[in-house]
Amino acid sequence: MKLTNMKQSIRLSVAAICLALTVPMSASASEGHGHALKDANIQMDHDTLRKGLEVFTNVCMGCHSAKYLRYGSLMAYPELGLTREEVDELRGEHSLMDGMVSELTPADAIESYGKVPPDLSLITRARRGAGNYVFSILTGYEEDPNGKIPEGNYNIYYPGNRIAMPDPLAWMGHSEDETAEIEGQAHAVASFLTFVGDPHQFERERIGVWVLGFLFLLAFVLWMLKREIWKDVKH
Amino acid sequence: MIESMMKTRLFQWVDARTDAGSIIRSQLTEYPAPRNLNYMWNFGSLALLVLVLQILTGIFLVMYYKPSAEMTAGGFTVAFDSIERIMRDVNFGWLIRYMHAVGASAFFIVVYLHIARGLYYGSYKGPRELLWIIGVVILLIMQGAAFFGYLLPWGQMSFWGATVITNLFGAVPVIGDLISEVLRGGFAVGDPTLNRFFSLHYLFPLLLAAIVGGHVHALHVVHSNNPEGIDIDHEKETIPFHPYYTIKDAFGVAVFLIPYCYFVFFNPEAWGYFIEVDNFVPANNLQTPAHIAPVWYLTPWYTILRSFESKLLGVAAMGASLAILFVLPFLDRSKVRSARYRPVYRQMVILFFISVLVLGYCGHSAPTATLKLVGQIATAIYFGFFLLLPFVHKFEKTKPVPERI
Ligand code: HEC
Ligand code: HEM
Repeated sequence: MKLTNMKQSIRLSVAAICLALTVPMSASASEGHGHALKDANIQMDHDTLRKGLEVFTNVCMGCHSAKYLRYGSLMAYPELGLTREEVDELRGEHSLMDGMVSELTPADAIESYGKVPPDLSLITRARRGAGNYVFSILTGYEEDPNGKIPEGNYNIYYPGNRIAMPDPLAWMGHSEDETAEIEGQAHAVASFLTFVGDPHQFERERIGVWVLGFLFLLAFVLWMLKREIWKDVKH
Repeated sequence: MIESMMKTRLFQWVDARTDAGSIIRSQLTEYPAPRNLNYMWNFGSLALLVLVLQILTGIFLVMYYKPSAEMTAGGFTVAFDSIERIMRDVNFGWLIRYMHAVGASAFFIVVYLHIARGLYYGSYKGPRELLWIIGVVILLIMQGAAFFGYLLPWGQMSFWGATVITNLFGAVPVIGDLISEVLRGGFAVGDPTLNRFFSLHYLFPLLLAAIVGGHVHALHVVHSNNPEGIDIDHEKETIPFHPYYTIKDAFGVAVFLIPYCYFVFFNPEAWGYFIEVDNFVPANNLQTPAHIAPVWYLTPWYTILRSFESKLLGVAAMGASLAILFVLPFLDRSKVRSARYRPVYRQMVILFFISVLVLGYCGHSAPTATLKLVGQIATAIYFGFFLLLPFVHKFEKTKPVPERI
């Protein structure tokens, strides 16, 4: 192979980089400790997020916190848009500036489950597979094929398979006609947590569209100007 | 625009007292530049832009950031909390933080391309040796600044990355332990480390700004190289920087900002390349992540380090791989600069670029036996480039170089 100029070597390098990039990307898509994660089809529309918030406060907050999500934000983020009355009911004695913290103390958690449940504010960003991972965990409880891990602690998507979280949505042994209901809850809460991980993501993308549009226009105008200014220069 | 600004009475008043006008004319507007520079010459001005962006966004981050590893509820720390506060509660804090985090990677992309340009067209050769050497100093300080900065969010990768790298210094004979202790401010990475890294993270970019001034000054003494790599007639073959290169650089800036803003607004983590997934997990000194890797821009050197069984050899090789860049101008004895007219050198330098990419890839991936071997081969090619260079001029048949551009 003979490389004749800088352009060609750049093209080659770009190709090499693209190739290198695809490998870890496809690896992260199939992350799940031997099992490909389920595709949760994360949706962050108003209804799903509200349903997810409900599952979160009713079920998950029994053990988990989302301390970076303030009660006041539930009103402030337009994607959630709770009313003052709804927030007042949720927060009880807490101030609007308080984060959503579980009543379960770390000491009690250790005593009951042997582990402190992790804060979920950033869980979708801190795990490969993001929302799909949360969804898969919630619907990944099974009987241990080797019969070693006690029932309710075996999860096919959790690293090492032994999870300290007791099946929160009662997935184990659910009847056929409950499947859709449980999957709906898991989907909603996984979507909600994906939103909570980066609550300004929609605002960011909305602004981004304008910024990119402006930049394309600017680049085009500057390119025309450059051609005009350079037209008499031999180069 | 610049001309009309220079005609204002305010400017005249300043000019009479500082001679600013003649500096602007000689260094910017009328600075004679070769007329045949291609787009590879845009990366210098882009690097300057990114440096300014990093400093500006950094100053705003510091207004809210708190360098403290004190624990808070939920296994987090004051530092980690302060960044989440920037991301969630500070108006447009997310924008500033993402601009800074994406900017760090953008900085390295731009500077690596800038360096590749210099290698390909022989810009490091006389009379530009010192210009090149200042550039290598800039590279080292950048790497330091980025390394210190990455500790600040106090995530798992921050913590373990800093632990691995400060450990390395322990391999230095006799004074190794002392060095790593001074770096950490204690026996392990902890709150004192965070504080001194924060201090240095603020200092290094400002140092950079000063050194970049020297870099540009040195450039304006020895003048720009060009794709043909030949000395040019400064009367006939140059064009004034303004308006020709001001408009070309402005166009380059707009083109650069498109991918930059794509990442800032749509993909700030860049699939874990710009901000690693594990860095959203708060630092925990009791739990080592399964796979510790530095951010992509440091991975080529990390692979060189890992290619040796002995830690001391690895550290020495990593140091040598950067230090050897300083002496590059003196290793190359060929009279011809540009790879366009150097068939052997061209193949060598392209192989060198590929070896750096491969090294980077290997350092980013979880180690396996095959990757280790690939990394070792790439390491050999990396050093082979420099070792062969002093002898190339003896057998290379260079093509005839044009008289004029
Ligand atoms: C009865 C207490 C309890 C409830 C209710 C609960 N969890 Fe958990 N959860 C835990 C514990 C304990 C862990 C730690 C598991 C471990 O590390 O083995 C955990 C871990 C997790 C993890 C992290 C797994 C990892 O990769 O570290 C996720 C995600 C999670 N829970 C989501 C949820 C969601 C979503 C809900 C609500 C639907 C929920 N949990 C309800 C106790 C609970
Ligand atoms: C050479 C220029 C610079 C580079 C390459 C750089 C690089 C970085 C990197 C890689 C991070 C971690 C990013 C993350 O994961 O979020 C960081 C964080 C930070 N930097 Fe810089 N930086 C530069 C200049 C500056 C300057 C000049 C300041 C201050 C005036 C500054 C202040 C900060 C602060 C406060 C943080 C922590 C916030 C955060 O992590 O987002 N930086 N920097």
